[in-house]
Amino acid sequence: MTPKNNIIIGVIIALLVVASYNVEANPIEFVEGLPNLGIVLEEMLLVEPKHIPTALWAMVETIQMAFIGTVVGVALALPLSLLAARNLNSKYVYAPIRALLAAIRTFPSILWAILFVIMVGLGPFAGVLAIIMYTLGFVAKLQYEAIETIDADPMDAVSSIGVSKWQLIRYVVIPESASHLLSQVLYMFDYNVRQTSILGLVGAGGIGFYIINYIKFFEYGKAAIFMIVVLITVLAIDWVSVKIRDKYIVKSQHGMEVTTESK
Amino acid sequence: MKQIQMTNTPSFSLISTKKIIQMNDVSTSYDSKNFALDHINLSIDRGTNYAIVGQSGSGKSTLLKLMNGMMIPSNGTIKIDYMTPNMNEKKFKKMMHTIGYIPQNLGLVKNLTVLENVIIGCLPRLSKIQSMFKKFPENEVSEAKKIIKQVGLSGKEDRKAYMLSGGEKRRVAIARALMQKPKILLADEIVSELDHVTAREIMDLIADAQKRINLTAIMVHHDMQLALEYANRVAVIKEGNKVLEIGVEGDKIVDFQTGNMTTEEIMEMYSDDTKK
Repeated sequence: MTPKNNIIIGVIIALLVVASYNVEANPIEFVEGLPNLGIVLEEMLLVEPKHIPTALWAMVETIQMAFIGTVVGVALALPLSLLAARNLNSKYVYAPIRALLAAIRTFPSILWAILFVIMVGLGPFAGVLAIIMYTLGFVAKLQYEAIETIDADPMDAVSSIGVSKWQLIRYVVIPESASHLLSQVLYMFDYNVRQTSILGLVGAGGIGFYIINYIKFFEYGKAAIFMIVVLITVLAIDWVSVKIRDKYIVKSQHGMEVTTESK
Repeated sequence: MKQIQMTNTPSFSLISTKKIIQMNDVSTSYDSKNFALDHINLSIDRGTNYAIVGQSGSGKSTLLKLMNGMMIPSNGTIKIDYMTPNMNEKKFKKMMHTIGYIPQNLGLVKNLTVLENVIIGCLPRLSKIQSMFKKFPENEVSEAKKIIKQVGLSGKEDRKAYMLSGGEKRRVAIARALMQKPKILLADEIVSELDHVTAREIMDLIADAQKRINLTAIMVHHDMQLALEYANRVAVIKEGNKVLEIGVEGDKIVDFQTGNMTTEEIMEMYSDDTKK
């Protein structure tokens, strides 16, 4: 350990203590509160299976919301990501687009949901709009960063043929960034399913609407059914994502070579 | 010291003496202080197999980028087929369609198939609709397949580029350049990482295409032996300056700047050049 490292660690610990004091973080309160968790868990074990069909239907609605939000969000994000990439545009094009995307990302999806509930009223549509905005902001950013990290060699080699910009995008930028995009879409869908599950908190539909209401009325047994359905769904989506990633993304990103021939 | 073997040296005939590349007093730099190339004079005849040899960082790759218009010199003049490079000028952009450029890392689109990578060479000849929707004309597809066969990749048209071996990737890059129906082929150290047998196969492929379509092949090499074996002329670049221009004539190496030199003298000079 160098003295410099000691100072850095000391500063981090000091900041941690000050910040904990400011947010009134008290470990004793946490320990004292643990028995309450036990009570909640005990009540949660009193699950009511008759609510399973409702929970499943609410989950289907949530998945549909996440699906529409992801597909539309990604579709809107793609052209914007092409315009926001520094290696494809002048700063007069990419700078305003990046500012717009940064502004969209400033709000978490729950704030977008509140805004859309005010605009279009309570219900899943407000949630879908919120998910679209959130997906748009993030996928566009991840995608323009992926485009900017594309290997310069194919870009140079194909540009030197004298192709048009659109041909360059069609034949180099899109195929070279496609594996990143698929990865981002899978991640975003996974994230959106979880996110949509809590949009019900502000009345924007989905399974979260049920969970928050049952918790409000201390019906933890009913809430538990819905939470278990969310858990199983998220695990299932994660499993499918891993399979798709292995099949379509890992190989192309690592550029696996067939070594049977040397010619 | 390496010995130059003159056996099996391919012979090339100069069909026209017309200059295809002319560089007069060309300098270029990546920053304001250091010149990547310093007062280079070079002229290359049409149909020549020309090699540029030099140590790392001597400016060889920069020289190639000047020859396809991707870089503009800070001083001096360049004429490529009697045209001054200017990417914004339509006439020159049209000329670029006929300059095949293979960078050191080949520049293949790894997620496209062999056929798609080769078809890229004809994109400037396609309409917007054709290229956007990948509706390639039948004649271009059969031309691409013919070239793929010529470079020895028949049956691998639908294989993704990332699945190919190093030698196969080089064949695809050459096929893409040939698909451009090029007048000039610029290749940047494309055989340096290959074993001797594969390197010679790739060089033979280029030599064959060069003879067949009267191509001017300008290749950057690290290996002087290979350069002298295949090229009509070899320019040796040292720290951004051209120090030698040599070639094989019969069984002798000729220095085109200062007169005849012995093989030993040339290799001595070259090894001084690369030892540093």
